[in-house]
Amino acid sequence: MKQLRKRNFCIIAHIDHGKSTLADRLIQLSGALKGDKMVDQMMDSMELERERGITIKAKAIRLEYQAKDGITYELNLIDTPGHVDFAYEVSRTLAACEGAILVIDATQGIQAQTISNVYFAMDHNLEIIPVINKIDLPSSETEKVLDEIDSILGYKSDEVLQISAKTGQGVPELLEAIINKIPPPKGELEHPLRALIFDSHYDSYMGVVAYISVNDGSIRKGDKLRLMGQGTEFEVVNIGYFNPNFYPTGELLAGDIGYIATGLKSVGDCRVGDTITSIENGADKPLIGYKTARPVVFTGIYTTQPEDHGQLREAIEKLSLNDASFTYEPENSPVLGNGYRCGFLGLLHMDIVQERLEREFDLSLIVTVPGVKLMITRMDGSQEMIVNPSDLPEPSELLKIEEPWAKISVITPSAFIGPIMELVTQSEGLYKHTEYIGHSHSPDALGQRVRLEYEIPLRSMLTTFYDQLKSHSKGYASLDHEVIGYRETKLIKLDILVNGVVVDAFSRVVPPEKAHEIGKSMVEKLKEVIPTQMFKVPLQASVGSRIVARADISAKRKDVLAKCYGGDITRKRKLLEKQKEGKKKMRSIGKVEVPKDAFMSVLKMER
Amino acid sequence: MPDIKAIYVHVPFCKRKCKYCTFASYCLRENDIPAYLNGVKKELELRSAGGIIDTVYFGGGTPSLLSVAQIAGILDTIKNNFDLRQDAEITVEVNPGTVDLKYLSDLNKAGINRLSLGVQSFNDAELEMLGRIHTAKEALKVIDDANGAGFSNLNLDLIYGLPGQSLKSWEGSLLKALETNPAHLSLYALTLEPEDLLFKEINSGKYPEISPDTAAEQYELAEKLLKNHGYTHYEISNWAKPGAECCHNLVYWQGGRYLGIGVAAHSFIENRRTANTADLDQYLDALSCGKPPPQELNEIIPVEIDIAESVILGLRLCGGIDLSHFQKRFNIDIMEWYKEPIGELLNIGLIETDKNLIRLTPHGRLLGNEVFWRFLPDTV
Repeated sequence: MKQLRKRNFCIIAHIDHGKSTLADRLIQLSGALKGDKMVDQMMDSMELERERGITIKAKAIRLEYQAKDGITYELNLIDTPGHVDFAYEVSRTLAACEGAILVIDATQGIQAQTISNVYFAMDHNLEIIPVINKIDLPSSETEKVLDEIDSILGYKSDEVLQISAKTGQGVPELLEAIINKIPPPKGELEHPLRALIFDSHYDSYMGVVAYISVNDGSIRKGDKLRLMGQGTEFEVVNIGYFNPNFYPTGELLAGDIGYIATGLKSVGDCRVGDTITSIENGADKPLIGYKTARPVVFTGIYTTQPEDHGQLREAIEKLSLNDASFTYEPENSPVLGNGYRCGFLGLLHMDIVQERLEREFDLSLIVTVPGVKLMITRMDGSQEMIVNPSDLPEPSELLKIEEPWAKISVITPSAFIGPIMELVTQSEGLYKHTEYIGHSHSPDALGQRVRLEYEIPLRSMLTTFYDQLKSHSKGYASLDHEVIGYRETKLIKLDILVNGVVVDAFSRVVPPEKAHEIGKSMVEKLKEVIPTQMFKVPLQASVGSRIVARADISAKRKDVLAKCYGGDITRKRKLLEKQKEGKKKMRSIGKVEVPKDAFMSVLKMER
Repeated sequence: MPDIKAIYVHVPFCKRKCKYCTFASYCLRENDIPAYLNGVKKELELRSAGGIIDTVYFGGGTPSLLSVAQIAGILDTIKNNFDLRQDAEITVEVNPGTVDLKYLSDLNKAGINRLSLGVQSFNDAELEMLGRIHTAKEALKVIDDANGAGFSNLNLDLIYGLPGQSLKSWEGSLLKALETNPAHLSLYALTLEPEDLLFKEINSGKYPEISPDTAAEQYELAEKLLKNHGYTHYEISNWAKPGAECCHNLVYWQGGRYLGIGVAAHSFIENRRTANTADLDQYLDALSCGKPPPQELNEIIPVEIDIAESVILGLRLCGGIDLSHFQKRFNIDIMEWYKEPIGELLNIGLIETDKNLIRLTPHGRLLGNEVFWRFLPDTV
């Protein structure tokens, strides 16, 4: 099909604003797939994605649509991840398109993360079609949302489409707008090959499959290709597009969106954002600056039972074949034994990886308190990056510590400015800016919506900051963040001792003035979650040799089956077997059986 | 393989279900008693076997809902099909509030020589909470009647660790029990299952939560009090005057083999443990056609589980387990076989050794499960 009849676009939307439903509706109304083949939310394929209602990995689909002008167009819809942890992947997806549908929920209005995605799309000269979704809901406030879009993004109300992806209302008009507003791909078929990788996954038959947008030139099966950023070379084993499954075509031309199977063994060799060209007569310049997404959150991952360490190694290796953005390095804990220090793009990414390791590989894991990467300078001037609190040198050896800061943007009804300000201050953040959104025609009880800007240590955003932001704003506030660099800070290491033994998995770096408060809430939380033992167990929080908080778990007094007669023996044995099984979910630390949930509980603790 | 030593007969009928009971029992089915007893007799005939029977136990449910003639009839069937020792221990569980002096005298004459009385508490509010059908006064009356009827071997069941039960209240029930000078006492901590009515009532806030710490104190109080009154603590939950230990239950704890007759009754014969269906109708259907009842459990006990169970049950006895006994029976050295758990448990003070014995320490008796699970073999 001629390049002029192609339209490559994506959908930008906040979680739950209806992106997947809209994708399904576009597929259905364009007539490319028969209704009986439709599975709800066709584009979220991973089980975990469906459960969490978020799209983790971008996917693409090719549709054919006959427009009102009588011409049949080829539409390529690329799905984008909806969470800030995957901002880098979103940016590559946007770079692969000429246009974007911006979906905003008629009941919720613009959310913080959406804005940064829209700005990014604007920077890349994407044609944006703003759409208000869910107009069929009784609680929709279309007028108010139109006002917000005008105020923040500058689109007048006549440029904004009003639709319901659920009922299909307004979607035919949207399809026409895609044809009329979004330009066709502008690459040159005759130029040297340049194709952008916007996603990839590992397939045990085909090796790494790269999802690509071909800008210039063409690719055929058997072509020998090179990645301009990484330098990886490979041969095209298979090539085609998505219908939505792999549909081999033998070639892709300038303007096409599709896949190539590379035969490579790890997605790490074929990273998102890199530009593909030919080995011979290749292009000079990549399509977009290539960089790797850098992990910002680090945590130790161990198995509950030390003897399962081998399985963890295998699982992590397998998983990393499919996820190039998490990093891992072996580490050894005096208490937990062999494990890995893993780096993630954010907390959600961390949760997802942990859940996949447990679910797909049937492991029982202990995850330590998450932390950031610190830059330390010693007295002798030497510098080092550390990700494990245990590596923090003694204060006497330290000249300075620097830690990453983030700029955050919060959108909230003005009624919650006070509580949010308080939360940010408690979290060591600094206020920067307030911006009122729209010209509220009828301010309701919660007031007009505002966008607040702060700067805050990234460390403070780990664990519960987001949950607290939600609870301080009755669920209304939305958050976006971006790491902005390192700043000098004062931090010390807070240790937790269980029965006199320092448990490094609980260690964390905190500001000195907060050591007591954090230590106290940690030992109290642990007291709730560690079951009573056969002896009294002291839980202590310490800074160096100084104990800053303590709580004791009293000894278990009684645990015995009262009766055991002829009719009970088998049943009672099964109860004891269960008790024995339960011990396997515990980690023995200083003779104390600590359930794996205990590690989770301090991690999710309110401060 | 050891021979069968004990016969258990289950009587699954009750006037009302107690709020903490998970045993098989049926209310408002008393019309089925005659058919049931025919079934029991049929089952006894079907399962007749050699070996000398030391003890027979009528449990329930409420066996005292049967007439004396009905109980005697079953006893006759046992005697006709098994070799019942002349001086066998023959126990019937009796629920206060179901019997009088005449009944008990007749029972005594019929050859029953031991009664187990489900007293549970001498506090009426606690009895009400448990859903018992009798009062403390009625319990005292039945003890009186049992003594008057000629029974010298009486057991009283009492329950501690009740929601909101104070140490004082427990002591009151114990002292009341001791005043009647029973030969045997079984003291059980209240153990609830989620399906028990009382469990639900605690969850709904009608009664306070059970305090394991108070239960531990109540247990320790009982140990002290009963010792002072001349009772031997011979099993985790059982105390007896010297010589009055329950012969029937010792068969279970000493790894003996037993035959269970009736609905939901368990048997352990050779290396196989079985349980009859817990469904009264299924039981009646099968036996009315002269067929054995369906089984809801039928498991071979492999030797390593047999060893584990024998240790676990043996450790329930305050005398502990005799190493030479295991050597003889399983041809293993327990100290070597269980080297790791025994070492650990000695170390944390839950068991102790004495010449050729291993037994729980007083501390270990309260934390028996922490001891027991360590002896189970690893499952695949």
